[in-house]
Amino acid sequence: MKMRIPILKLKDTLIVSIQVELDDQTALQFQEDLLDQLHKTSARGVVIDLTPIDFIDSFIAKVLGDVIHMTSLMGAKVVITGIQPSVAITLIELGIRLENVTTALDLENGLEKLTRELEA
Amino acid sequence: MAMNEVMRKSISDNIDTITKRWVEQMKGNSSERFLDLMPASIVETTSREFTELMTSNLSDQEKVDKERLDEFTEKIIHFGWSIKFINRAIDTFSSVVYELFYENGILNDGNLRKGVSIFANWINPLRESIIEEYSTKWERTDSLQKIALQELSASLIPVFDKISVMPLVGTIDTERAKLIMENLLEGVVKQRAEVVLLDITGVPVVDTMVAHHIIQAADAVRLVGAKCMLVGIRPEIAQTIVTLGINLTDFSTTSTLRRGMQKALQMTGRTIVEEE
Amino acid sequence: MDHRSSIEINTEWDIVAARQLGRNEAKSTGFGTVDQARITTAISELARNIYLYAGKGKIEIEPITVGQRTGLLIIASDEGPGIADLQKVMEDGYTTSGGLGAGMPGVKRLMDDFRIETEVGVGTTITATKWLH
Repeated sequence: MKMRIPILKLKDTLIVSIQVELDDQTALQFQEDLLDQLHKTSARGVVIDLTPIDFIDSFIAKVLGDVIHMTSLMGAKVVITGIQPSVAITLIELGIRLENVTTALDLENGLEKLTRELEA
Repeated sequence: MAMNEVMRKSISDNIDTITKRWVEQMKGNSSERFLDLMPASIVETTSREFTELMTSNLSDQEKVDKERLDEFTEKIIHFGWSIKFINRAIDTFSSVVYELFYENGILNDGNLRKGVSIFANWINPLRESIIEEYSTKWERTDSLQKIALQELSASLIPVFDKISVMPLVGTIDTERAKLIMENLLEGVVKQRAEVVLLDITGVPVVDTMVAHHIIQAADAVRLVGAKCMLVGIRPEIAQTIVTLGINLTDFSTTSTLRRGMQKALQMTGRTIVEEE
Repeated sequence: MDHRSSIEINTEWDIVAARQLGRNEAKSTGFGTVDQARITTAISELARNIYLYAGKGKIEIEPITVGQRTGLLIIASDEGPGIADLQKVMEDGYTTSGGLGAGMPGVKRLMDDFRIETEVGVGTTITATKWLH
């Protein structure tokens, strides 16, 4: 039943669009796959788009936070895009602030931000 | 003729006298001067409607004319009559009618007991209906006002491309804070704002709770991918913030909307230039 | 008219099933997107706690009406070890599982009413309600 989240490569950026509700196994599998790809492609940036996701609980938030931390340890930069208002409110009320995360309104915006930050 | 029939006939024959006396007694009473403040013509029609309403169910006890009651309470709420005033209006009406019944001999010491009972069966359900109607209507008005206040209290205005402003006016409680947060975030996403200015010039008090809500809102704005700036910090607000030990260092703040706007333009790579 | 739906929590997949049920119930009760997310997240946290600490238990969801108010009642119950230090569990940032420690106080903030009954060695029942405004 395990699902794999597709990871696309565009120049030196990895693009991930999470389209399905994440169960714990899929989330952990994604973490592993992304780090693998990062190592293989030596990409410098990652954009994770969460537009279709309608809720994030503390477990998924932790996996996301870990992914961001691990990615930066590997010398790459993560931008999270498309967090829905309802998801943002729920995260804040849960007490999860996701500090030190670069965010953007949508994928396009996120890619722009990433390019700007990598150039800087 | 049954006694209530006699009473009803006497009232309808003397409706003008009753209305006149009622107005006189109501005006003479000092505490609430609703009638003094109203134009004479309106006092006349309203008093007439009141006395007619009061007598409408005398012929057919128990049953109160719902439609007329509805119309009348609507009107007195509009006039701003208090419930205390309405209660007294009914009491005054009762005593005027009692007096009248005594004057023309319908009531005397012999039939007083029966008269009082008919009278009570007539007035009490009326009083209950009026007060019930009044409070339901008032509750409805109250909740409508709350909704109206909510609607008007938190709108995000797209001022420039990528820059939006939310002016906050009035006291912020938990309920409103939630609404503000929702409107703010939905607006940011819809307007594709990159910077939002939260203007608290119109917020009278910023205590720990309000600050907490503002910080949460700013955090949530960051998560959806925009930046939140707090503007309109008056000197006394700055004082309370520091005195209470509220930490606002995480996001940028300015004293006025104007300076905030300049900063926001800067953040989005633009500036205002004056034409030569 | 009100019905109570129930999901047994035995495996990790049941957490997904519980929150899907919660999302559907929230939608059909008439909650907006933000409250739907709150309810779904709260159920996810509660179901995960059952899975992590008690091994098994169940989540029950019921639309309720009290007077003029309509809401959704969530009951999470297990016959696990119980909570020894309730006060600690309700503190922000406290965790025994390596998670973010947002669990219980977070759920309390997401919902309108929240109650825990627990006895060491007997189990835990958490009742939480979200009201429609």
